Amino acid sequence: MKLYINSVGIISPSLQASGEWQLPRVDENYLTCIEPDYTQWIQPQQLRRMSRIMKMGTTAALMAVKTGASKPDAIIAGTAYGCLEDTATFLTKIIELNEEALNPTPFMQSTHNTIAAQIALLQNCQGYNQTYVHGAFSFEHALLDAGMLLTDTPAQTILTGGVDELTKAGHAIHSRFNKYRKQNTPYLISPAGDGTWAGEGAAFFMLSGANESTVAIADVHTFMASSSEQAFQQLDNFLKQNQLDTDAIDFLLTGKNGDQKNDLFYDQLIDVRFSDQAFGAYKHLCGEYSTSTAFATALAYTILKHQTVPVSVLNGSLNTPIKTLLIYNTYGPHHSLILLTV
Amino acid sequence: MEQLMADLKVQIIEALNLKHLKPEDIGDDQPLFIEGLGLDSIDALELIVLLQQKHNTKIANAQDGPKIFKSVRSIAEYVRANQAAA
Repeated sequence: MKLYINSVGIISPSLQASGEWQLPRVDENYLTCIEPDYTQWIQPQQLRRMSRIMKMGTTAALMAVKTGASKPDAIIAGTAYGCLEDTATFLTKIIELNEEALNPTPFMQSTHNTIAAQIALLQNCQGYNQTYVHGAFSFEHALLDAGMLLTDTPAQTILTGGVDELTKAGHAIHSRFNKYRKQNTPYLISPAGDGTWAGEGAAFFMLSGANESTVAIADVHTFMASSSEQAFQQLDNFLKQNQLDTDAIDFLLTGKNGDQKNDLFYDQLIDVRFSDQAFGAYKHLCGEYSTSTAFATALAYTILKHQTVPVSVLNGSLNTPIKTLLIYNTYGPHHSLILLTV
Repeated sequence: MEQLMADLKVQIIEALNLKHLKPEDIGDDQPLFIEGLGLDSIDALELIVLLQQKHNTKIANAQDGPKIFKSVRSIAEYVRANQAAA
């Protein structure tokens, strides 16, 4: 079942909903979103209660809906950590106020499904509403669910997206695991170093089973792999199921994140399976976060739609036309494949 | 009383994130809910928490809520009476 992408809404550290790019600003070892004027999208009375991730997620969704032809019949979101800022506020207040007189707003908005629910309220969408909270597979599983819904009813339009925010508390906790660069570096991917940049973003897509747009998500696969060989076997099976081989992939968009321990896998992947294919990377434009593949999917959409790869993304030379694009992302043992076609 | 009402206006703006308002924009007797400031039921909960946190004042009877939260003046009067009784 192909998921045709009718429109995209995105808030990220670089790629804007208009399709324009802005140079991401690196603060120490993280990238934060370039946020729009939210009052252009949401009433001030509703906006005042929203946390940052709610504003980002809801506005990205509204951008996708506005650009698309129709209102969504269903809403499916993927987020690994949900409304992290509100969760931290709520938990901190529990301690500070000795479990008494807690503010209701951070409590209500600390749940992961707040964003999809808020979008439904603003869109008056009473259809299917789901949020997937599956770590690094959250966005992919939202796509898989959208695929199942569209298999049943192809004429539906489903608003599907991935969103995660970077917070001070979250960054501090992840830093304990030595995930991030300890020294300021102007470049992330080349050369690789120790650790990566943290990131965040929100990207939503209006998906349909009917052929309204030429760019489509052809297939999605997630798996756990403890070795390169296992991962390559999964990749081969995935391509075979789609009647493809590696030569048929016109562009490979990798989830290289600049951490040399992590990127070793991608170097092997390119050497062993994609040595003759054009490839690139995207995490220097959005940072590393659990739903970064939503950013990658938005980037892939612009590549396929405009048939051009931004210079900062491309590694080496490119042969056009680009008809088939594969996003390969790993996040620890989590591996995901998103195949897009035009 | 005047100082208490002035403090309450600042605290209400901060607690409810009413960034578009200044304390002087809120009248002492201006209705807070529906018309007036247009606050809703979640704001009422936030105001209850505000009175507990900032003024050590609890709403003993929930049914008194609409009367207490009618305006900044009515809130101030309740706080003053409650503090006086304590």
